[in-house]
Amino acid sequence: MKVLVYADVEAGQPAAVARELVTGARALAGPGGRVDLALFGADPSAAADMGVDRILTLPALAAAPYDPAAHAAALSAAIAAAGPDLVLMGYTTAGLDLGPVVAIRHDLGLVSYCQTARAGDGAVETESQIYGGKLIARAATPLPALLLMNVGAFAEAAPAPGQPEVVTLEAAAPQGLRFIDATAPDPDAVDITRADRLLCVGRGIGEADVIEEAQEVAGLMGAELVGSRPVVDAGWLPKERQVGKSGRRVKPALYLALGVSGAPEHIEGMGEAGLIVAVNTDANAPIFDHAHYGATVDLTDFLPAFRAALEGR
Amino acid sequence: MHIAAILRIVPDQNEELEIDDSGADIDREWIGLKLNEFDDQALEEAVLLKEAAGARVTAVALAGDGAERQLQTAIARGADDALLVDHDIDGIPGARAAAHLLAGPLRDLGADLVLTGVQTPEDVFGQLAPFLAGLLGWPTLNAVHGVSAGAGGLEVVQEYSGGRAARFAVTGPAVLGVQTASRPPRYVSGSKLRQASSATIARAAGALPDGFAAPRIAALAEPARSNRAEMLDGDAEAVAERLAGLLAERGLLGGRE
Amino acid sequence: MTTQLALLLLVAAAGAAFVWRGWRVLAPVLRAPPVARTDHPAARAAFVVQDVGLHRRLLNKRWSGVLHALIFSGFLVLFTAIVQSFGSGLIPGFTLAPIGGNSWIALLQDIFAVLITIGIAMAAWQRLFWRPKRFAGSNSRDAWVIFALVMAVAGTMLLEFACHILATGQWTPWRPVSGAIARGLALAGMGPEGAAAAERVFYWAHILAVLAFLVYIPGSKHRHILTAIPNIYFRNTGPRGALPPPPADAPGVAEIGQFDWKDKLDLISCTECGRCQEACPAYAAGLPLSPKKVVMDLRDHMFARERGEEADLPLIGGVIAPETLWACTTCRACMDVCPVHIEPMTKIVEMRRSLVEEGAVEPMLQDALASLQRNGNSLGKPARQRAKWTKDLGFKIKDARKEPVDVLWFVGDYASYDPRVQRITLKVAEVLHAAGVDFGILYEGEQNSGNDVRRAGEEGLFETLARANIDLLDECDFRRIMTTDPHSLNALRQEYRLFGKDYEVIHYTQLLLELMEAGRLAPAEAEPQVVTYHDPCYLGRYNGGFDAPRALIRRAGHSLHEMGRCRENSFCCGAGGGRIWMDDAAMAERPSENRIKEALALGDARLFVVACPKDTVMYTAAVQALGVGDRIAVRDMIDLVRPDPGVAAA
Repeated sequence: MKVLVYADVEAGQPAAVARELVTGARALAGPGGRVDLALFGADPSAAADMGVDRILTLPALAAAPYDPAAHAAALSAAIAAAGPDLVLMGYTTAGLDLGPVVAIRHDLGLVSYCQTARAGDGAVETESQIYGGKLIARAATPLPALLLMNVGAFAEAAPAPGQPEVVTLEAAAPQGLRFIDATAPDPDAVDITRADRLLCVGRGIGEADVIEEAQEVAGLMGAELVGSRPVVDAGWLPKERQVGKSGRRVKPALYLALGVSGAPEHIEGMGEAGLIVAVNTDANAPIFDHAHYGATVDLTDFLPAFRAALEGR
Repeated sequence: MHIAAILRIVPDQNEELEIDDSGADIDREWIGLKLNEFDDQALEEAVLLKEAAGARVTAVALAGDGAERQLQTAIARGADDALLVDHDIDGIPGARAAAHLLAGPLRDLGADLVLTGVQTPEDVFGQLAPFLAGLLGWPTLNAVHGVSAGAGGLEVVQEYSGGRAARFAVTGPAVLGVQTASRPPRYVSGSKLRQASSATIARAAGALPDGFAAPRIAALAEPARSNRAEMLDGDAEAVAERLAGLLAERGLLGGRE
Repeated sequence: MTTQLALLLLVAAAGAAFVWRGWRVLAPVLRAPPVARTDHPAARAAFVVQDVGLHRRLLNKRWSGVLHALIFSGFLVLFTAIVQSFGSGLIPGFTLAPIGGNSWIALLQDIFAVLITIGIAMAAWQRLFWRPKRFAGSNSRDAWVIFALVMAVAGTMLLEFACHILATGQWTPWRPVSGAIARGLALAGMGPEGAAAAERVFYWAHILAVLAFLVYIPGSKHRHILTAIPNIYFRNTGPRGALPPPPADAPGVAEIGQFDWKDKLDLISCTECGRCQEACPAYAAGLPLSPKKVVMDLRDHMFARERGEEADLPLIGGVIAPETLWACTTCRACMDVCPVHIEPMTKIVEMRRSLVEEGAVEPMLQDALASLQRNGNSLGKPARQRAKWTKDLGFKIKDARKEPVDVLWFVGDYASYDPRVQRITLKVAEVLHAAGVDFGILYEGEQNSGNDVRRAGEEGLFETLARANIDLLDECDFRRIMTTDPHSLNALRQEYRLFGKDYEVIHYTQLLLELMEAGRLAPAEAEPQVVTYHDPCYLGRYNGGFDAPRALIRRAGHSLHEMGRCRENSFCCGAGGGRIWMDDAAMAERPSENRIKEALALGDARLFVVACPKDTVMYTAAVQALGVGDRIAVRDMIDLVRPDPGVAAA
């Protein structure tokens, strides 16, 4: 099978998710299959060790910031050039921007939120997370197809030094969008990615004043207080304390999740924490599938009790 | 500027979801339905743009349970018009089918900016905004975190993982998948809702291309419970005490600074 | 003759100044939108007698009430002296002597001059040494000016009389005080001639003091001596639990001019006594709301507008902060303690209405209201799960939509959905069932009654909810409605009259009491304890339901140790008026915790008995937050009873 991987780029380098996708692509392509990498926004040399057969590139974009319209045109050219049976992209902003667009353009089947992918008979069999991870949807999609894989679905490929062939593409520069500038996270703001203990509050905390109490408990634990997207969107915590897809990816030794349901977007940001403990009144919350310890007590009861337990030590 | 804000009604995923007898769908008979939360944000952004820069806002929805009420609510919130797109799909069209159904009516409407939510809990087979962009041949930006009207057109902020973001100038028509509006969605008073309940809703017909085969879920399943957390039983005090003990054993309490 | 002319000119000038200053105050009131407040003249007059003549509300604060009674009555009596002074100065030969001006009137004048002095001294003492917190934010300079003027009026009068006695030698037993002063003056060496001169001086000083007072009062809080009577007379005589409708041409008040004339009469009648501030649970919690400040700020803004100032200052967000408006629990305490019947709470709701219409709603309240629009309940739960709690019962509750029932139980949101209250709801169902009550519920057809929705300022949603419930009730066959929730009780009993519905609605405490009296309920098997009881605002203050809960407690064998703030003076738990849905992070002390501390201070009360689902939620949380679960426990009324074993067996 011919698999084309689109590489997200961060800071001029292929992002971790791209290396994950190469792992999956290799497995799906099978022996004798071909794995191509569509790499725009970075120099092909940056991907020399990724273990792909060819790198498809568009020199005009190599040093340019990400532009969805230009990348869509380039990816379209890559698909035309490589004729893949399967296109793999991460379920990232770029995956969202480009995947469905090229799927329409090239009449590819498309499956999103994929957690697993397996080659079937003229089709790709997938398991996707649906309803915020509460259920799994299985589907068999005829080839050619495009998959938006969840970040973390595959392990990152180890560097494999090699000299993949570099194929130069051509695509007309599209009109309609113009990159203005980019903003990186404020370096002075608290860096939750460095904390080794995090206390995370989610939608289930219900009231803003619980934040204060959680803050005090976090202090007792020596932890930073972080939140899931709804809590940050509600303005209860600043953006730099958001964990998850649209926030930060964290990997602390301890992650105590209070009232967090565990949507895939959140799990993406903290699934690799050392010890995950979840407290949520909903026994069916997906967070319990990722936690090491769980409890279904009410937070308004738990917080004061936990605080007392910490103070008692 | 003519903005189309596309609204979708989705099952309330905060509720318990049960798999129906077919094994390929949830049991929808009792499930609560609500406006997709990101569509809520998209509509708010459209109305904010209208207020800031002047625009016509048309709320658009595919015919279905509760769609008319959602459109009336949108008018109460500040949309100028509402358009209900009829179709002959049984049940809720997927994002790709929805894009096909909507593309024609959106062209006829003369909209030059389409805003909708970045995703729904159900769009396993792709997301509406980029599908529509592909069909309309317009650029698309997703995970949008704010749209503002600048001198030379729109300025759109797009978010990436790790807290990064970029600003784009949008000079022509575009489709935006909105994640968060510039301000939280406003409250619409009951009296405005009551007034809007008599608003007229325009209708249009959507059509699928010949031979369109909607992708189907083969089976739904509960997530594998292999990694299920070890549950701590007892009341809050018992759980708290047990947890504090567990953390202390692992050296995850105290001992800092 | 020159004296006469001088006095005439002086009186004319002062009168003109008074009229001019009074007009400036009154003009915005007379220009304001209409409101009907002239019905029931007899009842209105009766209120004036009680609250002005008998000082009913004033005397709730003993010291202040007494000092006010002294000054008030003294003023009435001194009015005779004023008449005499001006009469004799303007009309030659004018005297009150024929009707007792030199006898009993003289005696009264002397006595009441002393009583006024005592009253002023008490007032001064209070302001100087006790400094009640309720005066915080009041204009104390105004108060001192008034004290000084009152003392000047009374003092100059006594001195004038004393000098008169000394000058004329007409010693009379009818003027004991003036006589005593005269003797003092004589001892100090004043002769008849000097006294005659001094009499003229004090006469003019008295005249000037009276006129100064007259000119001063329109711009002072002391104008209440003129506005209090009309303000009390024109008070709202409508049902206590029914909010006035919004202005005819607007969703709410967003502009000072939209307040009706009675609202504005309220504003110019405020004496800044601060009783409302002291009673306000939001103020006590440290939230940015004092009903007194709201009234004063509105008043000052109204006057500023009259002067052509503050034209660009928005009413909401300029004069009154939105946080102030959202802080109100609509407990009604401010309205019920006000000696002159000012209504701060309804003004707050009026302004909330315009905020809601603009969509500028407190974020958490917005979630709740949006859920009410979508699901008919505030908790974000699907409507179909409303009766899910009944699954745990060993029997099926009748569906009142399908079969006739004697008692239609309107369950309410918290009792239906909140896990902390469901236990109580289940127990109520079991007890009624065992006691053989023929009752049913509306299952998933019931929606929030809209009581607090209306108080949050959401008129449109209130109407939607009310009409949905009424449409459903219209299809049901029942004798009376019962609810555990005082908020639902208030809406069903009082607010639904807006839609022409006059249901018989009872609180479950009343039904339980009836059952107890009929021998169908027995006290729960528990040791008699000392308990205290919290009056829910919407059961007590709003609906007069003070006695049934107390009778139940007694019949259940417990002894009731009342908290200081009980019955009409109950202290709100902080949940009403939509507050239960809002963020209470800004509170220094939650009202519910303040209340639990009050109960603990009783020393012997082991149980904190409540009769409202919201109270269960609020006080259970408060006991936990204070960590005093070992000293006091929150119990619902239903926990005090059980089915009579005999009836249950039968």
